[in-house]
Amino acid sequence: MTPLVDYFEGKRLLDKHGIKSIQSRYVSSAGDAMEFSSGEPIVLKLISDKALHKSKEGLVKLNLKGDEITAAYKQLASKGRGLYPYRIIAQRMAKPGVEIILGARTDAQFGKLILIGLGGIYVNVFKDFALRVCPIQKADAQDMIDQLKSRDVITFNGKNSKMLSNLIMDVNALLMSNRRIEELDLNPVVVREDGYDAVDIRILTK
Amino acid sequence: MRKMNLIPMLKPDSVAIIGASRDPDKVGHVILQNYINAGYSGRLYAVNKKADGDIMGVKTFVSVADIKDKIDLAVIAVPAQFVPKVLEECGKAGVRTAVVVSGGFAEIGNTQLQDEMVSIAEKYAMPTLGPNCLGVMDPRSRIDTLFLPTYKLSRPRVGGVSFVCQSGAVGSTVLDLISGEGFGLSKFISYGNAAHVDEVDILNYLMDDEETKVVIMYIEGIKRGKEFIEIAKKITKKKPVVVLKAGRTAAGTAAAHSHTAALAGSYEAHEALFRQYGFTIAEDLGDLLNYAKILSSETFPKGNRTMIITNGGGTGVLVADAIGSSGILAMAQLGQKQSIYLRKSMPPLVNIRNPLDLAGDADDKRYETALATITSDDNVDMIIVIALFQTPGADSRVAAKLVNFKDRTDKPMIVLSIGAEYTQMHRIMMESAGLPVYDSPSAAVRSLAELLKYANYRNRA
Repeated sequence: MTPLVDYFEGKRLLDKHGIKSIQSRYVSSAGDAMEFSSGEPIVLKLISDKALHKSKEGLVKLNLKGDEITAAYKQLASKGRGLYPYRIIAQRMAKPGVEIILGARTDAQFGKLILIGLGGIYVNVFKDFALRVCPIQKADAQDMIDQLKSRDVITFNGKNSKMLSNLIMDVNALLMSNRRIEELDLNPVVVREDGYDAVDIRILTK
Repeated sequence: MRKMNLIPMLKPDSVAIIGASRDPDKVGHVILQNYINAGYSGRLYAVNKKADGDIMGVKTFVSVADIKDKIDLAVIAVPAQFVPKVLEECGKAGVRTAVVVSGGFAEIGNTQLQDEMVSIAEKYAMPTLGPNCLGVMDPRSRIDTLFLPTYKLSRPRVGGVSFVCQSGAVGSTVLDLISGEGFGLSKFISYGNAAHVDEVDILNYLMDDEETKVVIMYIEGIKRGKEFIEIAKKITKKKPVVVLKAGRTAAGTAAAHSHTAALAGSYEAHEALFRQYGFTIAEDLGDLLNYAKILSSETFPKGNRTMIITNGGGTGVLVADAIGSSGILAMAQLGQKQSIYLRKSMPPLVNIRNPLDLAGDADDKRYETALATITSDDNVDMIIVIALFQTPGADSRVAAKLVNFKDRTDKPMIVLSIGAEYTQMHRIMMESAGLPVYDSPSAAVRSLAELLKYANYRNRA
């Protein structure tokens, strides 16, 4: 199996290409998570090679405050026993928005493919996505957005479509300068009218 | 990128049919018969290891080596196990290209025999098509390697559409259908197992072929992905390519490690590539013909505003509905000057709007007035003329008028005519004159939408 890149190694890669991701930290105890929170609501997630559908499997706990943090940490830690090795990650809550997916995979025939679609829990329900062969041009990025049925939803009626096409081009650049990446999932990326945050990063290398 | 010269295969001055036979049940007999029927005017030879003298009046040799002539194309129709030996003889004799019609290679697991065939083709740098294919047809040079008799499969007229097909079954049925179309055929290339000459080589050839205005292709897989991308980038900037890719349902694997891999399987990757490089994607066999028809008219729209002229109210509404749901076409709004003129010149029962319903008694004069006004309206980019020949006013004069306007306007114009014999007669009349005719609102609108998408791609590139 292709190895999963460490979450923070992935995050550094995104940082380098100007792709914004939500503030995060590994936590090793409930107290650790409480400290990260410092009074703000947070997210706790369990990360394991064995878990792809984190939210479906109950491995993502959202909007936690105070004692909820301790309870959620314990729940995740007990689920983690069956998914060893695992890590628990604490994240800031993203500001509300629409969830999209940005992804890539390596095709045996054509090489790197780049994808954008309606994300989060809707990925497999609506299968609304656009795909291209890398490297892509700016016009391709715009075409990809225009191809989506959910275009007006994810672009807030066109208000952030420039931001989104720039984001696609940033991911394209990341893929072109890191040839070892076999697969990439930024799912979800929470998109707003004036910004976005990648809240989950999954990178597999050769 | 390797470049195979396929010109001697499609435009041969001399052809040898190897495996030609006196026995009418043999493939080699039908092929020779077809060459004779097609009226091939080059030098034709038959090869049969047991025969001498002639077959059907064609001089016959025991081996290709005995022919004292330079052979451009050898058509090989002998049992699979003899193919390497025959191909080797062709190579030694300096044959320039070969088509191996015979089956019994990789398609039944006999990859070793196929590899042997390829290494001989490579050794002699002799472009070899097949095996397991129908071969090639070019109505201009009158070559026809198909082993299907003409009474079973009608041959298309000469035209600008080239058809590339991996499957023999799809190839023969679509070819039969093309023979009923007005646009006509430039080249037919059925490449079967794609052992030596593959889709990249064929597209490379067709890109530079002046006689080919539009390429339509049916493919099951692409052998050289990276090279295909290179040719894809270039060919659609010169001419439209319509592609039908089989294997849609084999989606991404369910056990994928990422959402992206689960969504984007092999078919999706092909589709992405086609979209990216301006191919026109067909979803069904009928699309291949529908899109070829409009694209071969070589008239491109400047925008998406579409005007409907009709002699049937309901059909006009159906077309307007199809435009509404096309996602790319828009209903045109007539200019003020044109509206005023039409109001003055049309009977009161004609509502001046889009669709412009000329009413059931519309004759060629009324169509003429409408078309003269609308073709000169800058607010209109494309025109769909509905001509229902069941109505009292519509007859051959209407068809002739429509053809006449097609030649006078630089806006894409298509006709929708639905019906049986009388309508079909007029369809053929109009299509022979290069005016695309469709038989359903959705086929008409989807075809215009694809024309616009291609025009947009060309403008962008």
